[in-house]
Amino acid sequence: MDQSRRNFCLGFGAATVGAATLSPAPAEAVAAREGGDPAHRWGMVVDVRKCVGCQACTVACIMENDVPENSFRTIVSTYEVTEQGRSGTYMLPRLCNHCEDPPCIPVCPTGATFQREDGIVVVDNTVCVGCAYCVQACPYDARFINHETQTADKCTFCVHRVEAGLLPACVETCVGGARIFGDLKDPDSTVSKLVRERDPRVLKPEQGTQPRVFYIGLDPKFQGKVDGTPTLWRPSAQPHADAYVGKEHA
Amino acid sequence: MMDTSIVEVINVTREVAWLPWAVQYFFLIGLSVGGVLLSLPGYAFAHEDWRKLGRIALLVALTCGLAAPVALLSDLHQPGRFWHFYVVLRPTSWMWWGSIIIPFYVTGLLVYAWTCFREEFQEQGRVDSHLAVLYRMAALGGGRDDRLIRSAGIAVLAGAALVALYTGTEVAVVKARPLWHTPFLPLQFLATALAGATGLVLVLNRLAADGDRDVERVANRLLAGALGAVMLFGGLWLALGLFDLERTHADALASVAGSEAWRVTAVWAVAATAVPFVIAVAKPVGTGLLTGLIAVHSAWMFRWTIFIGGQTVPKTGAGFYEYALPAGPDGLLGIVGTAGLWLFLLLAITAVLPTPRRAEPGPFHPIAAE
Repeated sequence: MDQSRRNFCLGFGAATVGAATLSPAPAEAVAAREGGDPAHRWGMVVDVRKCVGCQACTVACIMENDVPENSFRTIVSTYEVTEQGRSGTYMLPRLCNHCEDPPCIPVCPTGATFQREDGIVVVDNTVCVGCAYCVQACPYDARFINHETQTADKCTFCVHRVEAGLLPACVETCVGGARIFGDLKDPDSTVSKLVRERDPRVLKPEQGTQPRVFYIGLDPKFQGKVDGTPTLWRPSAQPHADAYVGKEHA
Repeated sequence: MMDTSIVEVINVTREVAWLPWAVQYFFLIGLSVGGVLLSLPGYAFAHEDWRKLGRIALLVALTCGLAAPVALLSDLHQPGRFWHFYVVLRPTSWMWWGSIIIPFYVTGLLVYAWTCFREEFQEQGRVDSHLAVLYRMAALGGGRDDRLIRSAGIAVLAGAALVALYTGTEVAVVKARPLWHTPFLPLQFLATALAGATGLVLVLNRLAADGDRDVERVANRLLAGALGAVMLFGGLWLALGLFDLERTHADALASVAGSEAWRVTAVWAVAATAVPFVIAVAKPVGTGLLTGLIAVHSAWMFRWTIFIGGQTVPKTGAGFYEYALPAGPDGLLGIVGTAGLWLFLLLAITAVLPTPRRAEPGPFHPIAAE
């Protein structure tokens, strides 16, 4: 369970520039990157088989990053699946994919959102005008407008923690060890090995974004937009929560 | 096919991030572009038969063109930071190009409108009134100058073309939203903008001008043409999606086809296009207010459906997000406020420049001096 944490520290210390097992980003995208250590390429592997849907990551992220009420940088989408008369629960942790070719960046009209040399996609909320073009461009619904800062907001892989040698809060708190974080440029890191050996899937590969959040045990039915009955639960502040739930049961 | 049912138990609902302000912006800027195009024959190309229609179209272009940027600015969640657009070079962003194009277009529109109205300023300056001196100042000591009007007209036409290009492309490039990501979308925006602008000409012809029947007849014919284009593009869009002839259109249709609400919206959209088309063709005189209002409504609905409706399609989650129009600045107040600003601009401009009485030829009938 601690394997991911231990490995992270090793990977961070070694700072090994390993042979990249992943296809490189377009030259112009790399050129536009700023800040961060180019010796690393941070990424995450989510083993959905280990996720118990406790939402500890969701809460840890909110507490760590002061995410406003009713907003989420990460959440565990939870589905009840009935197949041939048998029901089960399917959990899918979602977050920013810190794509190698992120569609949110070229659309930004002010340069407020950018990718660091270590692959982490961030927003400078002192520059962002809150136009929300990036929110539209993200194929994963990973971005939102933070109504406290009135700017675009998203998962940063807890960049402030990573720079201090710590794991992202969601990884640190994951009770099932489902979230594994590490350096994809380090061939000996757990994430690199998992990507190499387990052939994990990514969400919406047809979008060509080259996500750097990988999933082990990802059912193809959940790889894109899920074809199912929409969510039963929604934040209480939503004015039509009751009406909607009523409609769903009707 | 395996019998699988999926119920989404927990997921996040992403609220719309482009607000009704954006709908108002795309609506008004589209109508402004349409107004410019309709004004060009009468003013920039000096066809006298088109002059009267052109004047109303110019009012449409001016009022909508001045109100639109206010709506756009309000759609930013940090409107005070708008200057951030102008201290960077971001050629990969169509929105950044928009921030360059809008001032160019609005400036061109103001100059063009001034060249067109200059002869009216001159005439008003001859009236015995305390304000005459102001009109004479506004005329800058001149009158109608067809060459100047044409030059300004060509400049504003370039601006209008760029606005049409950027507004359509800005939305169409968003691959993450299949409903938006079709090559037809910019054409549909343009066609519905032309229909909306012609509709507003018909409405203003009745409410803010002298209700000229010739203008009504011509505008209704133009409206039929624009609505015909809307139906053509809409039909092709549907056919490409329905018969899976083109991937992006098939994806766009598939993203909403399963929804009863979207099917009702589609029927509504077809009715709001076909009904004024039939009326405009069958009875082009005496129906302008009705066809005009329906056409304006249709152009607005199209944008509402694309922007607000489009954002209720989850990118990853199941089904559709619910949207309820908030009463405050993020919703109804934004719509009403923008409409109020437009109305104020219309009242102000028509108060300063009342509709000339051209129907009755008199000794002061203005004809180009040279």
